[in-house]
Amino acid sequence: MNFSARINAVLAVLLAALIALPLAVTSNFAYDILIRILLFAFIGTSWNLLGGYAKQFSLGHAAFFGLGAYTSSLLQINYGVSPWLGMLAGGVVAMLASLPIGWLCFRLRGPYFTIATIATAQVLMLVFLKFRDFAWGAEGTTMPNLGSAPLMMQFEGKAPYYYVALGLLLLSLVVTFYISRSRTGYYLLALGEDQDAAEAVGIDVPGEKRNIFMVSAFLTAMGGTFYVQYIYFIDPNTAFNFDVSIKAALVSIVGGVGTLFGPLIGTVLLETTAALLQSWLGNQAGVQVTVYALILMAIILWRPTGIMGFAKEFLLRKKLRATP
Amino acid sequence: MPEALVVKDLSKRFGGLRAVQDVSLTVRENETLALIGPNGAGKTTAFNLIMGFYRPDAGSVVAFGRELTGLRPHDVCKHGLARTFQVAKPFGGMTVLENVMTGAFLRDRHPGSARDKAREAIAFVGLSTKENVAARDLTTIDQRRLEMARALATQPKLLLLDEVMAGLNPTEVDQAVALVHRLAERGLTIVIVEHLMRAVMAVAKHIVVLDHGQKIAEGSPNDVMANPEVIRAYLGSTAAR
Repeated sequence: MNFSARINAVLAVLLAALIALPLAVTSNFAYDILIRILLFAFIGTSWNLLGGYAKQFSLGHAAFFGLGAYTSSLLQINYGVSPWLGMLAGGVVAMLASLPIGWLCFRLRGPYFTIATIATAQVLMLVFLKFRDFAWGAEGTTMPNLGSAPLMMQFEGKAPYYYVALGLLLLSLVVTFYISRSRTGYYLLALGEDQDAAEAVGIDVPGEKRNIFMVSAFLTAMGGTFYVQYIYFIDPNTAFNFDVSIKAALVSIVGGVGTLFGPLIGTVLLETTAALLQSWLGNQAGVQVTVYALILMAIILWRPTGIMGFAKEFLLRKKLRATP
Repeated sequence: MPEALVVKDLSKRFGGLRAVQDVSLTVRENETLALIGPNGAGKTTAFNLIMGFYRPDAGSVVAFGRELTGLRPHDVCKHGLARTFQVAKPFGGMTVLENVMTGAFLRDRHPGSARDKAREAIAFVGLSTKENVAARDLTTIDQRRLEMARALATQPKLLLLDEVMAGLNPTEVDQAVALVHRLAERGLTIVIVEHLMRAVMAVAKHIVVLDHGQKIAEGSPNDVMANPEVIRAYLGSTAAR
């Protein structure tokens, strides 16, 4: 069996295991961790399209997460629209919002771009905090509890939420897989390396950035809808939390930016560490953040290409040793 | 021979500096034209104006009968113009093959056939054995070769080479000169910016000399070398007497 066939076999087994996992999981705590892993792996994978492949380092993806969350919630509470539709509407809203945000931010490069994205997410949070009549202000609101209502994205038990999150993650992975193998994938990598050289070989750099930002924003917004449906609550601080922006970037950096599975692997590592720490040490303030910071420092110091980069190097070295 | 590139009265200022002033030049199809001049003469600025990296303050650029003035670089590239950079700008993290594929994608959006076309361009510049090497690990001459292959892969009719020989040793210069000759034999129109006179004499029959952003001489290599203005620009006014 050649290398890629072996990889495909491993992936198929992993997928089957992920689908079968709810048969083995009984505790709500474990479900909670699994769902968080899938959700943040999904958001990280969506971030990675822009931040990893095109190297446009956004720290403002909470903007799209929040827009997705608010769009579906407003539609559901004010007009009774199903969050399934609201999820798509939220994606469209986020996609449209990415146009002016991109127009503003993409004229800046490097750290200035990053700071501008942080600012836009913060501004959106303030907007939703101030306008009470429009979207419940700072108090937020709880989602109406409809019991078991699959058409309204409400389920009994946690297993269905697990499958929704898994579906989202698979969607983002499939999208990333096809983009990375297409011309667009090469173009994103190229403009991430050098924008002038990319322009010189005929790449419409502003256009490519705009398009991938739209895709990334759309997907991230879907995660926002799912999250409020899962926790039955929305307020500006949850929806536009800076933590979401940070995690989206962090899981990708740890796992390996610009790789298909990097964000997933990074999330598994970070979230399981966080969960284990929490169960050992309780909710002591600062412990989680400290460990996060230590992991990040270790990666940046020793493995700036992330875990995926490490694995690639390892395989390459093994191959070199095998062929004398 | 019809005209490949007609530049008319091109001007660009940066603050108080007149980087390029009323420069006009015409390149005929299948001709190799060398653009020479002392440091800071405006050669690279002229390239950037032609390719759309800068917007000219005045003047026009017409290539193959089409007005290109004010177009963005990627649109200029679609019209059959390609360039290399003075300081090579490879996509460092990508392999040689992937680098050149980005060029090939301009005329062919399918990865499979773009890969084939990229391999042709890589073979042409003699980099085939390094196809899977990351671009940042290449030597200087190989990075220049890569730049040429990537530009070639866009299937240009006009190629602008910006100091491709700078920093090469004499053997490598000979190789680069041979490569430029083969490009010309392929029917490409070439504009080359170069400091190295040996290389300029070897590749170009038509030379344009810039100094302080202005065209001071134009003609065959021998005419240009005998021109007192050119000698003054390079060696100072006492030498020209």
